[in-house]
Amino acid sequence: MRKRSFILLMILPTIILISFIIFYPTISGVLLSFKNYSLYNFGNIQWIGFENFKEIFSDIFYIDVIWNTIKWIFFSVLLQLILGFILALLMKEPFKGRGLYAGLVFYPWAVSGFAIGLIWSWLLNGQFGVVNDILMKMGIIEESINFLSDPTIALYSVILVNVWYGIPFFAIMILAALQSIPNSLYEAAEIDGAGYFTKLFKITIPYIKPTLVNTVLLRIIWVMNFPDIIYGMTRGGPAGSTEILSVKMINTVFYESNYSLAAAHGVIIVLILLIYAIMYLKLTSKKEFSI
Amino acid sequence: MKKLYIKIIKFILLALFLIFALFPLYWIILTSFKPVYELYTFPIRYWTNNPSLYGYRKLFEFVNFKQYFLNSVIVSILASFVSTFFAMLSGYVLSRKEFKGKYALVLFLFFSQMIPSYLIMVPQYVMFSELKLIDKLISIIIVYSGIGAAFSAIMARGFFDRIPKSIEEAALIDGCNEFQTLFKITIPLMLPGLSAIMSFSFVNNWNELFTAVMFLNTSDKYTVPVGLYSIISKAGIQWNVLAAGIVIALLPTIFVFAIAQKYIIAGLTQGSLKD
Repeated sequence: MRKRSFILLMILPTIILISFIIFYPTISGVLLSFKNYSLYNFGNIQWIGFENFKEIFSDIFYIDVIWNTIKWIFFSVLLQLILGFILALLMKEPFKGRGLYAGLVFYPWAVSGFAIGLIWSWLLNGQFGVVNDILMKMGIIEESINFLSDPTIALYSVILVNVWYGIPFFAIMILAALQSIPNSLYEAAEIDGAGYFTKLFKITIPYIKPTLVNTVLLRIIWVMNFPDIIYGMTRGGPAGSTEILSVKMINTVFYESNYSLAAAHGVIIVLILLIYAIMYLKLTSKKEFSI
Repeated sequence: MKKLYIKIIKFILLALFLIFALFPLYWIILTSFKPVYELYTFPIRYWTNNPSLYGYRKLFEFVNFKQYFLNSVIVSILASFVSTFFAMLSGYVLSRKEFKGKYALVLFLFFSQMIPSYLIMVPQYVMFSELKLIDKLISIIIVYSGIGAAFSAIMARGFFDRIPKSIEEAALIDGCNEFQTLFKITIPLMLPGLSAIMSFSFVNNWNELFTAVMFLNTSDKYTVPVGLYSIISKAGIQWNVLAAGIVIALLPTIFVFAIAQKYIIAGLTQGSLKD
């Protein structure tokens, strides 16, 4: 009995706090999505069934938002992974000043997404932006590019910034996994005459594959739920070209003040994530959860 | 010969990554010290011979940035302290004890991580306005504590797993009860882990924008991200002022990150992703 009360005493605070801050609001968020609660409708809040969802799905631009979200996730995570992997490989062998180098090259990860968005919107500015200036001086482009005001390239601009932000995370994860590979594996391969790429594809990648799989899958959830950078850069514009699901939802709260409609957007996002998480659990099929 | 060749390529690549990471930081610091007349000049200047504190001065005159900073410090420290403390207790039990419902609890923590904070922010707003806590810092301190607690508990469990049980068993035999063992033996050993967890939530709390924008309405309650948000909403704001705000906003997280980097990395990798 004493053992049980000890356990309860230790875990109850966390359970109560999380129930109060996350689970209860989640349930009322789901309920909210079936009502008509908005800034202009405080006095007459009613149950309206699936109206909000109907409104979302009948929006012809919604498909564009989904498509933007897919592109945002796919390119962001792919490039973060590839570049993070390369950076981790470069940092694997100790070199003089590696600790300092790590601190400097990993710092973007500590910066707020919104601030990152602001910084880069200044760097990528079509008129006074330094990126245009550098590209022109290097002779890569002749005329300045409207990175953020041209709807055809704005999404790729925000993806580029998200990649900048996410490289450190992948590099940190992969670097740690690389450190755990026993050196004897490489030594044996070298005796057999294996070259750099043979070792990379036959030893390194298979060995750290669980880390790669986990990191990518969890990263996808975070990237999907990460409106901050886009909010700092474009708020979804121009002409909705950088609007992803989470940005759409934030805009519904802040600009339209339609809280029930926003909740419906949120419910759709959570459903997508839930399906995704179940797939993730199936794929990794483990009982030890981690994040 | 071939070795040297590889070394040079490696060096170039490492340098490129570093430039890519640092250039935006350099540019924003430079902009923050540029005098107004250099902001929009052509050709673009990569250095300034006339550094000016105008941006920083305006930041503290034009908006109440000192207050924002103070608010952010209070909110981030308190919230990360609370969530770390709760996470320490539950993480310990998750690591050391077997009990009914443990699997469900881990599931509970895991899924609470998946709920995007902006889905629950409207219901949270309703909840806190019923409690008459809107526009008070305590409201976002509570929200951040709750959101941080789940992640921190999972991380804490990973750290506790790395502390050998035998040390505790020895203390128990010596007559300590479980609380004494936890607070006198285990937690001192956990300090690096706890500081990693705490600094990780500090960084998250410091950077949080959307809940704070929604919950804090009057200017003297703003946190730093809300302050920056309000600056860009005001017409005619100059880039050197905004850059100064960003630089100041970056300082605490970079400072915390630099100090705790080693622990954060160890915590993220060993404490969380267990393969």
